[in-house]
Amino acid sequence: MADRKVTLNLGLPGKLRKLKLSLPEGEARPWDADSKLTVVGTAVPRIDGHLKVSGRAKYTFDVALPGMLWAAVLRSPHPAARVVSIDTSAAAKRPGVKAVLAVAKAGDRLLFAGQDVAAVAAERPEQARDALAHVKVEYEPLPFVVDTAGAMKDKAPLVHQAAVEERRTEGDEPGAAGGSKASGNVRPLPPSVRGDAAKGLRESDTTHEATYVTQVHTHSALETHGLLVRWDSPKSMTVWASTQGILSVSDELVALFELEKARVITEFLGGGFGAKFGASAPGSRMGFIAGELARAAKAPVKLMCDRHEEHVCTGNRPDSRQTVKLGAKGGKLHVIDVESHGTAGIGTGAGVGRNAIGIYTRIPHVRVQANDVFTNGGPGTAMRAPGHPQGAFALELAIDELAAKLGVDPLELRLANDEHPVRRQQFSEGAAKFGWKELRERSAKLRERDTRIRRGVGVAASIWGDFGRANMTLATVSVFRDGTIEIKNGVQDIGGGIITVLAQIGAEVFGRPLSTVRVKFGDSEYGSSVGSGGSQTTSSVTPAVRNACEKARTMLTELAAKQLKVATKDVRWGDEATAHGGSGSITFTQLCKKIDGEAIVTTAYRPETYGHEPMAFPGGKQYQIAGVQFAEVEVDSWTGVVRATRVLALHDCGRVMNPLTLRSQINGGVILGTSYALMEERVLDNDLGRMLNPNLESYKILGARDVPEIEVVITEVHTGANNTGAVGIGEPATIPTAAAIACAVHDALGVAVRSLPLTPAKVLAALGKIPGQPSAGTTLATATPSPAGRSR
Amino acid sequence: MSERTKLTRRGLFRGVGTATLISGCVKRKDHEKSDGPVVDDATAPAEIGPDPTPLRFTLNGKPAEVSVEPRVTLLEALRLDLDTTGPKVVCDRGACSACLVLVDGQPRNSCMMLAHDIAGREVVTAEGLAKGDELSALQRAFVEHDALQCGFCTSGMLISCAALLRHHASGGPGDEALTAERVRDAIAGNLCRCGTYPHVVAAVLDVAGASRQKAGA
Repeated sequence: MADRKVTLNLGLPGKLRKLKLSLPEGEARPWDADSKLTVVGTAVPRIDGHLKVSGRAKYTFDVALPGMLWAAVLRSPHPAARVVSIDTSAAAKRPGVKAVLAVAKAGDRLLFAGQDVAAVAAERPEQARDALAHVKVEYEPLPFVVDTAGAMKDKAPLVHQAAVEERRTEGDEPGAAGGSKASGNVRPLPPSVRGDAAKGLRESDTTHEATYVTQVHTHSALETHGLLVRWDSPKSMTVWASTQGILSVSDELVALFELEKARVITEFLGGGFGAKFGASAPGSRMGFIAGELARAAKAPVKLMCDRHEEHVCTGNRPDSRQTVKLGAKGGKLHVIDVESHGTAGIGTGAGVGRNAIGIYTRIPHVRVQANDVFTNGGPGTAMRAPGHPQGAFALELAIDELAAKLGVDPLELRLANDEHPVRRQQFSEGAAKFGWKELRERSAKLRERDTRIRRGVGVAASIWGDFGRANMTLATVSVFRDGTIEIKNGVQDIGGGIITVLAQIGAEVFGRPLSTVRVKFGDSEYGSSVGSGGSQTTSSVTPAVRNACEKARTMLTELAAKQLKVATKDVRWGDEATAHGGSGSITFTQLCKKIDGEAIVTTAYRPETYGHEPMAFPGGKQYQIAGVQFAEVEVDSWTGVVRATRVLALHDCGRVMNPLTLRSQINGGVILGTSYALMEERVLDNDLGRMLNPNLESYKILGARDVPEIEVVITEVHTGANNTGAVGIGEPATIPTAAAIACAVHDALGVAVRSLPLTPAKVLAALGKIPGQPSAGTTLATATPSPAGRSR
Repeated sequence: MSERTKLTRRGLFRGVGTATLISGCVKRKDHEKSDGPVVDDATAPAEIGPDPTPLRFTLNGKPAEVSVEPRVTLLEALRLDLDTTGPKVVCDRGACSACLVLVDGQPRNSCMMLAHDIAGREVVTAEGLAKGDELSALQRAFVEHDALQCGFCTSGMLISCAALLRHHASGGPGDEALTAERVRDAIAGNLCRCGTYPHVVAAVLDVAGASRQKAGA
């Protein structure tokens, strides 16, 4: 491999330095701080926006094929049951029904309410749903447990009879996997350890210990999970899928049905948030069902979940009960110890992220031990920064409570313990911009006066790795004789706007107007690509596309040299991509007419990540993406209602590709985080074992009137990690929001509300205003600590 | 709904009494034939179903005819029978507004209306906001402000915003500038999971501001 060395100007604003990097063969010279770009980094509206605003964008839910049937799935009404018998014969005779499938067999154990039992395919969706009522199933109900605490008890019903296989997707954070053997319903996850936490606690002069609770959160993408299967031959099929990982769908179907080929198309996708990988949903064998029904009916079959199914069997963010012990020595954090139990239902993955070990890198003693607790609920799965918002909430609020005991500003305590150079800059810049000190003083005054309306501010940090992947993305670039440029890659656009960014890369490299660049995407035929998970799409796909563009441009340069009768090195590209050489010149359009054949076609991959700056990036093996959010809240101390009024989000995502779509993604992260902090909660009834709010009117997600004023500040870092300099943002943007809001509520009230969502009942309980319930205990100075029952 | 001045069948039946009405009902057997009776006035007390029965209404300015069972919602009829998939199925019970359409100018959740209830009425979906390939000012502003991400809530958002702008333009407290608060109120029922709300508000205020400037010039 003929590596070549280049010197690049890298680093964060104000701290740039020249660094030598070694580039693999065929790799374009990375854009650095000295690169003057004209299209990349500008606020280009999305190139497919016109299709989405005119209702013409066709999502999987919208695709219709001639003769297509609609499938519906009968789901277990019991949280645990054995199937005694199943009879689908009556359903098969219902109007419009073309195929029936018993997914469960007599003797099968069903593990949660919502599990697949049987399915039908009919001409219309209402006929399919109607026919489900005629599937006769006899169940033998079994003992079950749906709450995390209950499942940990000695005599709790055992959810799994055998060892559980871990299900990981591209949505999961790369890194340590594989938990230990379960004991009862509890299965320990790999611990994060530095130093000796027990020793650290003994050595501390000030300690804080409390338990923090987070709820189960469902992804609730607006387009539900679903796919449309058409058999093309006994060994091949074409599938339209609402997926954030086209390749993962194809791989699963090929393995499942022993195919030679499964072509997967996802032209538009109504959100995913981590739950849409593979042909099946985490809790429903959708690929199998649609495929089998289509085979039996000899017709294309579409299976889309309804909203109820989407809540109960397509994944969720697991809950957590985290006991956090912090110790300080000489005014500095000395130890973090977290023991967490959470339930991903029948699935795995109730970790609490890398916040403790990855952010607070100066602390000598850290131990985080998370445990999966199995319950009879739908399986959890990766959800936008899996584990991190839970971990951030507990840890950041605990740090604020410790800061209160130490009598120090919580921001100062963080700065004293965080050594990430980008995050340190964000803390300082954010504090000044937000008015941190003045607002903290205001909070203290309102607490002192015991006003009805309190205000408070909080701050929290995020960490995420640059997980840009090598050799996954095959990009093809064609320059046609008519002067148009086509970029081809089978990536799906989850809503982040990757398609527009790819067009920008093309326009930048060729120096051509954006309108002359087409992007073909959302189809496995267009070349392999990454899934939209791990915040890695832009950092994985753009470098491959740029390499393919640069190769094509080199060929155009050679062609221009030939036309202008000069040496290749003497060709200069001028305005509008006109090639100059010697005394002659040739416009781009004229040059393209000289192409032999239809087009110049090049392909390229992205190599391994090769550089990082800041080089000393504590906290992980990859470049660590920094983020800090400040939040302001208003709390009505009489009613307990919390409103998030303002969020200042400071984030790093390497080189910004498109500030307009970037802002949208950060807004989205903040809004999802606010919703998690204040509203959303899956409610399972302990006695029935079923979800009580499987809809969108009692499962509350944030609406327009609940959105805080959001200000976004980008810390642009030239990392040298890949040739475009892009790193991720989708997940980092949602990690610290709920934590910052909870810290702000603590600042407003003087007491911490240690359970998400921060509902009025919990706020009033923390204030000691619920008769018969003691207050959470005051940790910040108030003039008159509220005694229990004071407001009676 | 506005008062109708012309004599409707319902008005006539009300006059002749219920007993006459019931005895006057006939069982339709030829529903599926295209030359059978067609429902073109939802206020008429026709006995229909359970088989598909044709109905006529105006969809995005053009006459539309479709034959559906009485249990079929407007949303299903639009999506399954008329290939009008701008309105989306999200909650299917009136909680999210992704299926919003204008019915006689008013924003309505199409999942909460039966198709046969819109016979004779005018329905406008997101597809109908553009003039052919030419986007409306509101649609252009949505693109320019990036008021959409995955795009699944966008059709419904646009309907709410279009209704707000029309209402705002047609008098009322017309001289007042549209405020962000009023826009947020107008889209309060439109759920978005990607977090487009701030950009939707910006897009609507931009269009409202531009039209005010134009009016003032």
